Amino acid sequence: MGSAFILYSRISFLSKVFPLKTYLYFPLLNATLFWAIRKAQEWKEEIFSWKVWLDPDRIETKPDEFVLNFFENHTGLNRIYESEIRERDWAALREAFARLYPILGLGDPFLSALFHEEIESENYRKIVSGFEERVNQAEKDIETLEGQSGLLKGLKTFADQMLSLNLDLISQDKVQTVLAGLIKKHFEEKDE
Amino acid sequence: MSKGFFSKIKMAGVQCNYRTSGLIILFFISLFSSSACVSHLKKAKFHYAQGQEHSRRYHTEKSISSQGYMLKGMAELNLEFWKEAEESFRNAHSYGFEEGEEWAQQLSLLGLASSMEALGIEDSSFRIYGYLLDKSKLKPVTIVAAQKYTDAMLRKALHLDGKERKKQLSSVLKEVQKLSDKDLSCGFYHYLQSQVYSHLADYRKSFEGALMGKELGLPTEEILRDNDLQIIFCYQNLKEELSSEEWEEFRARYSEWIKKWKWKGPETPDWKKER
Repeated sequence: MGSAFILYSRISFLSKVFPLKTYLYFPLLNATLFWAIRKAQEWKEEIFSWKVWLDPDRIETKPDEFVLNFFENHTGLNRIYESEIRERDWAALREAFARLYPILGLGDPFLSALFHEEIESENYRKIVSGFEERVNQAEKDIETLEGQSGLLKGLKTFADQMLSLNLDLISQDKVQTVLAGLIKKHFEEKDE
Repeated sequence: MSKGFFSKIKMAGVQCNYRTSGLIILFFISLFSSSACVSHLKKAKFHYAQGQEHSRRYHTEKSISSQGYMLKGMAELNLEFWKEAEESFRNAHSYGFEEGEEWAQQLSLLGLASSMEALGIEDSSFRIYGYLLDKSKLKPVTIVAAQKYTDAMLRKALHLDGKERKKQLSSVLKEVQKLSDKDLSCGFYHYLQSQVYSHLADYRKSFEGALMGKELGLPTEEILRDNDLQIIFCYQNLKEELSSEEWEEFRARYSEWIKKWKWKGPETPDWKKER
């Protein structure tokens, strides 16, 4: 009840400062909550730094065995990338790895919320093909909005309010699921 | 008689008055002159003390400014605001912090290497990272240089085969080992070693490096998670590689570690969604 109320008030707030970018509500709130729970001093920088998790150089240097292991040990990826795995198509596997490892491997809080629908429907190929476009768009939209003074304050209020509910006792994936559900419900109610 | 007596007394009185007046004048002269002396002395003392105070304050302000800029620079360094940190160290140097100039130069080199790398001038940027690895006393700079250097070396190794590849990997391993010999408590250097051992398919050593990295602490959340996934990768490979006896021994120790880390299972860290 408490978290739903807080969330609705934050969505209303985001609707005011961000009226046309509803797709960013969940990633922004999820990333805010993630860093707030970790009590990172530099949470603002973390949210707005827009670094995809793990330096692309590091992802590029992972050994073939590690890349293969990532695909083989993930039930969804194992099935979807079956032919690439069988044929050891390194070019395709590495291209997909560079986009999927930050999300499915490391659980980047912003990206995993940005691609939440694709993850839920196991449409991993869609993530790979639309990754650059979607991430660049989000980055551009946030950058244009970053200057607006109220956004950070609003996100901070959200983080503080959610933290007062002792959410740090709940795991990241549970928080993410609850958050996604509440946002979905809010939009459904709005449509009706 | 009485006249004579009185006149004697009078004379004596006059004489006495002259003497007293002289004494009084002398007293006042000495009083004025001594008070004038004291006043000058006081003034001199006052101005001297003021001078001392100004000098002390000047030095204190200078040292506070230099300390302030140095601390500001360190904070910026930790946040990886390289340009800002460079400027702060230069300011700290101008206020008397001797090492400020050298630190600023190292940051300038780091920026240069990064720009060169972005432009594809890899060999020169590589040389600068190597230089910083050897010379820099600033840990955040050494960490970035180590990271960039190792990544570049590993990227090269991926395009090599057989002996050449092994030679390249041994060379980068040696560099990273040198770093952790210098600073054994830096978890990030153990993480880098673990990554190199993974390329060499030495999963036992890679596991040890990742374990040390985790226990000593890693600089960011994503590196911590990447390191956890390296631990799991090693666990899975060692399961295939070790004899059943060795595996049992390893598994027992592994169980102790994951219990300590509060993992959900041998292949599921605390932060990972269960599948």
